[in-house]
Amino acid sequence: MSQTEEPDEEAVEEPDPADPAGVVDYDALEALLGDAVVRRERHLNAEAFVVRADRVQDALSTLRTEAGFDHLSNVTAQEYHDRFESIYHLKKYDDPTQEVSVVVPTSRDNPVSESAEPVFRTADWHEREAYDLVGIDYDDHPDLRRILLPETWQGHPLGRDYNQDKPQIVEFEENVNPLADDHRESDTMLVNIGPHHPATHGVLHLETVLDGETVLDVEPDIGYLHRCEEQMAQSGTYRHQIMPYPDRWDYGSAGILNEWAYARVAEDLNDIEVPEYAQVVRTMSAELCRIAAHLLALGTFCLDIYGDFTAIFMYAMRDREVVQNILEDLTGQRMMFNYLRLGGVVWDLPEPREEFFATVREFLDDLPNRVDEYHDLITENELFQLRTVGTGEIDAETAKQYGVTGPVARASGIDYDLRRDDPYGYYENLDWDVITDDGGDNYSRLLVRMREVEQSARIIQQCVDLLEEWPEDEREIQANVPRTLNPEPDAEVYRAVEGAKGELGIYIRSDGTDKPARFKIRSPCFSNLQALPEMSRGEYIPDLVATLGSLDIILGEVDR
Amino acid sequence: MIGLLKSMATTMKHALDGKTFTVEYPEEAPDVSPRFRGIHKFSQERCIWCRQCEKVCPNDTIQIVTDDKRQGEQYNLHVAQCIYCRLCEEVCPVDAILLTENFEFTGDTKHDLVYNKEQLGNVPWYKDIDPLASREPDRSAWVGEGEGEVDYQ
Amino acid sequence: MATTPVAVAEWLGYATPPLWLQVVLAAVVSGVVVTVMLTTSALAGPWAKRKITAMFTDRIAINRNGPAGIFTIAADSVRLMSKELIVPDGADRPAFDVAPAILPLSALLGFAVIPMGSGLQLADPEIGLAYVFAVSSIASVGMVVGGYASGNKYSLLGSMRSVAESIAYEIPLVITAASVVLLAGSLRLSDIVAAQQGTLVSLGPIAIPAWYGFLNPFALALFLVASLAEVGRNPFDIGEAPTEIVGGYITEYSSIYFVLFFLGEFLHIFLSAAVLTTLFLGGPAGPGPAWLGIVWFGVKIWAVFLFTQWCRAAVPRVRIDQMLEIGWKGLLVLSFANLVLTAIIVGVIA
Repeated sequence: MSQTEEPDEEAVEEPDPADPAGVVDYDALEALLGDAVVRRERHLNAEAFVVRADRVQDALSTLRTEAGFDHLSNVTAQEYHDRFESIYHLKKYDDPTQEVSVVVPTSRDNPVSESAEPVFRTADWHEREAYDLVGIDYDDHPDLRRILLPETWQGHPLGRDYNQDKPQIVEFEENVNPLADDHRESDTMLVNIGPHHPATHGVLHLETVLDGETVLDVEPDIGYLHRCEEQMAQSGTYRHQIMPYPDRWDYGSAGILNEWAYARVAEDLNDIEVPEYAQVVRTMSAELCRIAAHLLALGTFCLDIYGDFTAIFMYAMRDREVVQNILEDLTGQRMMFNYLRLGGVVWDLPEPREEFFATVREFLDDLPNRVDEYHDLITENELFQLRTVGTGEIDAETAKQYGVTGPVARASGIDYDLRRDDPYGYYENLDWDVITDDGGDNYSRLLVRMREVEQSARIIQQCVDLLEEWPEDEREIQANVPRTLNPEPDAEVYRAVEGAKGELGIYIRSDGTDKPARFKIRSPCFSNLQALPEMSRGEYIPDLVATLGSLDIILGEVDR
Repeated sequence: MIGLLKSMATTMKHALDGKTFTVEYPEEAPDVSPRFRGIHKFSQERCIWCRQCEKVCPNDTIQIVTDDKRQGEQYNLHVAQCIYCRLCEEVCPVDAILLTENFEFTGDTKHDLVYNKEQLGNVPWYKDIDPLASREPDRSAWVGEGEGEVDYQ
Repeated sequence: MATTPVAVAEWLGYATPPLWLQVVLAAVVSGVVVTVMLTTSALAGPWAKRKITAMFTDRIAINRNGPAGIFTIAADSVRLMSKELIVPDGADRPAFDVAPAILPLSALLGFAVIPMGSGLQLADPEIGLAYVFAVSSIASVGMVVGGYASGNKYSLLGSMRSVAESIAYEIPLVITAASVVLLAGSLRLSDIVAAQQGTLVSLGPIAIPAWYGFLNPFALALFLVASLAEVGRNPFDIGEAPTEIVGGYITEYSSIYFVLFFLGEFLHIFLSAAVLTTLFLGGPAGPGPAWLGIVWFGVKIWAVFLFTQWCRAAVPRVRIDQMLEIGWKGLLVLSFANLVLTAIIVGVIA
């Protein structure tokens, strides 16, 4: 049922015959796109084609069908002093190191560009966000409404003319009254699941149209937890002030994984080399975070299916507690770690090191028993299988359309893991497997997470072995990084890491100062949640709730 | 059916072994790690009023007022909005700031959680743990001195 | 065996007590019994539930108020009763106010005919078993009325689910009970208990009593599963399903109305445990003198309660369609098979 692949096999296997070396031939792509291209730009991660605003669909569908760029990873919108710009970051699911960006400039007076939604479904929400926060209009977009802010909000907060100091009050009456006009069709009923509901894992609002108990349509309404993390990052300095905040995106214990996303992009932007020792420490701590995050996902998923405070939830919390204690010893906090620094990590392992290693090893040795216990409790339980097998299904093609990544994508048979496919940290040198499963249902997603916990344990095991042997005088935890970082003006970079929920990417444009001019977060939960209607149409309410649980979204990351 | 019984047996096993993993707080306070970042402690004696902590703080938690000779008059901390990132401790050149292990502090209003420099100086250690001792090996990366005893009071 | 009011009258010296005395005595005795039932079961129930759940989930549970947190029961009662009673604007009154009373009422009516041992039985009609099922199924009316009158969609969904569940599982429940009636040859509950006295087999020093649960464990299992559904406990707690439809029919109820619903549910668990005990576990039978009957009866119904809590910790909630499938395609067929087989066996032996 499940297949595993060695990480190094992928390097040998090359999916696109046009690029045998795995290097994108940008000249050939430019020729392919023809007169849609106005000019070319160089971004640090990939070449970018500047495309006319009325030829976006053309360009994207050519890149998708003829050049194999099937993953619209992110859409960044920004305003310059003379123009608006939408950047479509494209990748390949088969090889995410092959990247290309499509830049679409529009004038400030009339910021209209063609929507990418007909080519990539995932562009739907991304473009709504761009419209909401920056103010670009997308022609052809099926449903261009605000997505994060309330409908009645005035202005676009990330635009240049926006007065950020002026508070706005959104009165409740101006929201849609949930009680008025609740019959969309004669036989259906609109139910608002959330924003206050026991199973929405945060403040999520699902506008659900029911026919009896069957879900006819569901529309996620997000933005209740929007804190404009992007704006916060744009007002912080690269060197210090941004790093504490990624912890607060995916706050379900995945802090270090998020920090790594920022560390990776900022280190690329500023050309910082991270010492090998620090990379190993980073890898170990990040995988500890992944275990904690997956255990939380497992516990809450079972909570949705079993109801109330059931044993499995508490057992998962208990095991997560052990990981959190280890992380507390290492980083000083249980969830808001702030452990990574540009160029390394803030602290070496706690002294006495032997004691720390012993604690970690004790946890790792006990883990197989724990996993067996979960299998006894959950996966082998027939009633649980009855509830999860074949529910919330999504096939690989649809998942790719929605830009689904992480365990959700891997459970649909998409063999995509940035730790292996776009290596960073110390993952390349370690021996571990990418877990995939073909089921595509709630059961597969749970199974993939459980197996990933085992793989993370393998990685930690190897890291601990390495760290124990590491010579004392070579334990360099930080590269020499200047106190103030001023990257090249107008440098643009988009980089992603494999977060707990999937591809967590960050786009930064610098303007030569010590703060980013544009800081855009590509949240895996945002894209994964977008696929929820596909998974739950035609199913029962309990399956909708279970599917939502199996997506493992953290609203802090969806809304940012 | 077998799987169902197995999961019931597993929970029963947990019920009968009598082990619990929760603790009876506050009678039994949890151990925090030596590196734990709790409330801010400030040493007026050591502070040279360089304002680096104020500058590095990501969300304006620290407020420093100096006179025209750049001598410190006030040092206020809005504890309620502190995110315990420890950047202030990290940049302090003279070890005048320490994040103690103490996490047990409350206030009835927002104003109760604005601490001035006297209050910050009197923040108690948690369970008498001296955080400096436990962090010493790592602090040399940040602090130039590193030699001798550091007296905070 | 005489019912408690009659026995008391005889003790007072009336050989054939007049009707007025019977009524007065029945009222007094039932008042006492109800108070005792309420305090022991419905109030200790939530406390025990918290303790038991904590055991299953490796936690400490309540322990601050009194020994083992026992006084939390009093604190909880005060807390719940002193809360503000919120009646939603769209509520359909007085249906909204009537519904909470129906649930505990129907359960208490059911207890009237249960032989609880130690001579405690308020009434012993010939059709005792039919009466229990009849009054306990009134509870569904309370759920429907409450769910509908709340004017909340979750409540409506919850009440619809509850009714579907009650209908689907009431039939297997009654059919399975009918197999016991075949064995005992009577609907009178005291007769059914009496029929279970005696020994099934003697294994050396251990004598296995002739309880119908031992005689026909298959029927016991069927009855247990159907009871779980009937009282809406895991894996069949879909009527409330907090993680799906928030709280089902009790979503909009607060304060004392909530207490009544809560109480009613606990009483129903204990009532179905009492029926199960009466039908399959020999009622108040147990070693020791006869006055210990109520103790044994209590032990048995608490064991059934413990089982429901155990299921709650370990068994996932099924979906509405799966629940109906299990009910109509599984339990119904099995319960009829059980009835037919029992009838054949009883016919052959008798």
